[in-house]
Amino acid sequence: MGRVGFTTTIPVEVLLAAGQEPVDLNNLFIGANHPQQMADQAEEAGYPRTTCGWIKGLYTAALTTEIDSVIAVMHGDCSNTQALMETLELQGMDMIPFAFPYDRDPQGLRASLYKLMDRFGVSEAEVEREKKRLDEIRRLCWIWDDLTWKSDQVSSFENHLKLVSTSDFEGNPDRFAVEMDKLIMEARQRQPESGKVRLAYIGVPPIFTDLYQVLESMGARVVFNEVQRQFSMPYQTENMVDQYICYTYPYGAFARLADIKAQVEQRQVQGIIHYTQTFCYRQIEDLIFRQKLGLPLLTLEGDKPGKVDARSRLRLEAFINMLG
Amino acid sequence: MIGIDLGSRQVKLIQMQKGTVSRREMRDTIGFYRQYGRMHDGQLQIDLEEAGWSGDEVIATGYGKMAVSITGARQIPEIQAHALGAVFQSQRQSFTLVDIGGQDSKVILVRDGKVADFITNDRCAASSGRYLENMAAVLDISLEELSRYDQDPAEINATCAIFGETELVARIVEGCALPQLAAGVNYALYHRLAPLLKRMDSDLLVLSGGVALNKALADILARETGRQVLRLPDPQYNGAIGCCVFGGI
Repeated sequence: MGRVGFTTTIPVEVLLAAGQEPVDLNNLFIGANHPQQMADQAEEAGYPRTTCGWIKGLYTAALTTEIDSVIAVMHGDCSNTQALMETLELQGMDMIPFAFPYDRDPQGLRASLYKLMDRFGVSEAEVEREKKRLDEIRRLCWIWDDLTWKSDQVSSFENHLKLVSTSDFEGNPDRFAVEMDKLIMEARQRQPESGKVRLAYIGVPPIFTDLYQVLESMGARVVFNEVQRQFSMPYQTENMVDQYICYTYPYGAFARLADIKAQVEQRQVQGIIHYTQTFCYRQIEDLIFRQKLGLPLLTLEGDKPGKVDARSRLRLEAFINMLG
Repeated sequence: MIGIDLGSRQVKLIQMQKGTVSRREMRDTIGFYRQYGRMHDGQLQIDLEEAGWSGDEVIATGYGKMAVSITGARQIPEIQAHALGAVFQSQRQSFTLVDIGGQDSKVILVRDGKVADFITNDRCAASSGRYLENMAAVLDISLEELSRYDQDPAEINATCAIFGETELVARIVEGCALPQLAAGVNYALYHRLAPLLKRMDSDLLVLSGGVALNKALADILARETGRQVLRLPDPQYNGAIGCCVFGGI
């Protein structure tokens, strides 16, 4: 069995149908013992200091782990991925481009999917069979999410961690499912953590390693992790194309906005943290969310991996204090 | 009631009795920490008694409060402290507070006496008091003199406290006169604030922090925004006053 890395959530069913182990390079990077050193290594290789910390981390993660190839999502994620792909190619890495269609067109998505299936030599029937299997595991993640916002039994960080892991199911969906079953049983026995300020976290997952713990220590709970939840494909769908069309993240701010609006209302969110990465084009999209969401919104910016810095803590504290 | 604002560059201490300030003191932050701070359980602990401030309830706020603890003090977030101080000093309930200190700036929307929204600079000290100090030093004039000029500004874009210097030197070489250069510096600060003020708009702009002493900036703000501008009587002590207000004066 080979291992295939990728730069953001891709139709993982294709890799599983081909008997490949999926490796989300983001999780590998931020879960490493010294993620900051990985970003530094990319800078030593020539990546500009004024570039996204995630991209730098992915570069080093791809080069320092045993993988056969990397799927680079050229459209629907990050505007730096093309250069990431090219610089990895320069190092002799086998690169496979994948693109979500900008206009969310099912035909365009089908074409991308077929190209990927061809590359791994799997049929549509095999891939759809994997989807059915993963549907059951993803359902466990939806329960996990419900236990976060409906009954306040799962913490902000636990919600983030398990949902963000659904991009690669930690490399082994069956093992992941067994663990989720156990965690759900255990969480259902807990006392609810109610009475805290209810926050939504929107944007890419944070590069800060202790953000959720910091928020909880300040008397707040994140009851909605937008993009992480999207990774768990929270939709009942019949087939692969439907599923990856419902998935909002690759299709721009407005596709995401509809999902965010519905969820913050349902989950009785009091305030929103919009996280953006330093040097990321998504900082521009901040103005769209500010204008359209109609709830207090704090824009939080992170650059390098590590603990939440003193100024950000100060701003978070003031924001929670204002909402409380 | 004693209010203490642990700023990034100055520690401000205020004592209030029956709604009036009875004592005030401003100390250099690093010197203050060195002199009165002791490490205790990995945290810097300040002994106020040793610093000559005791015998009253203490409320603290400020940039240093995450890492610094003051024996016997209650701590409040600085956004809240600044809003409370400005409501008390201005005797107004709804306004936009522009607080520009030594290393940071905050724009706080106050409605009915409470914080409704806020923005802070989050990454660097551009367009802070330090910027003005550096620019005044390059021009070889005092901060007081710098704050006299708001007409016919030279074009200065950088508000970075370091790169601003390079730009200013380039303008000097081009032959710009001192009044234009000084006005350009003040305008650069305004341009940095303008988008924040648009997001936090009110009919009244209240200025606090050391930069509120800059009359040129106040005049530029009034002229460019068409809003009423009020400089607080005690701008640098506003956070410390807010602490006292929180404690009940």
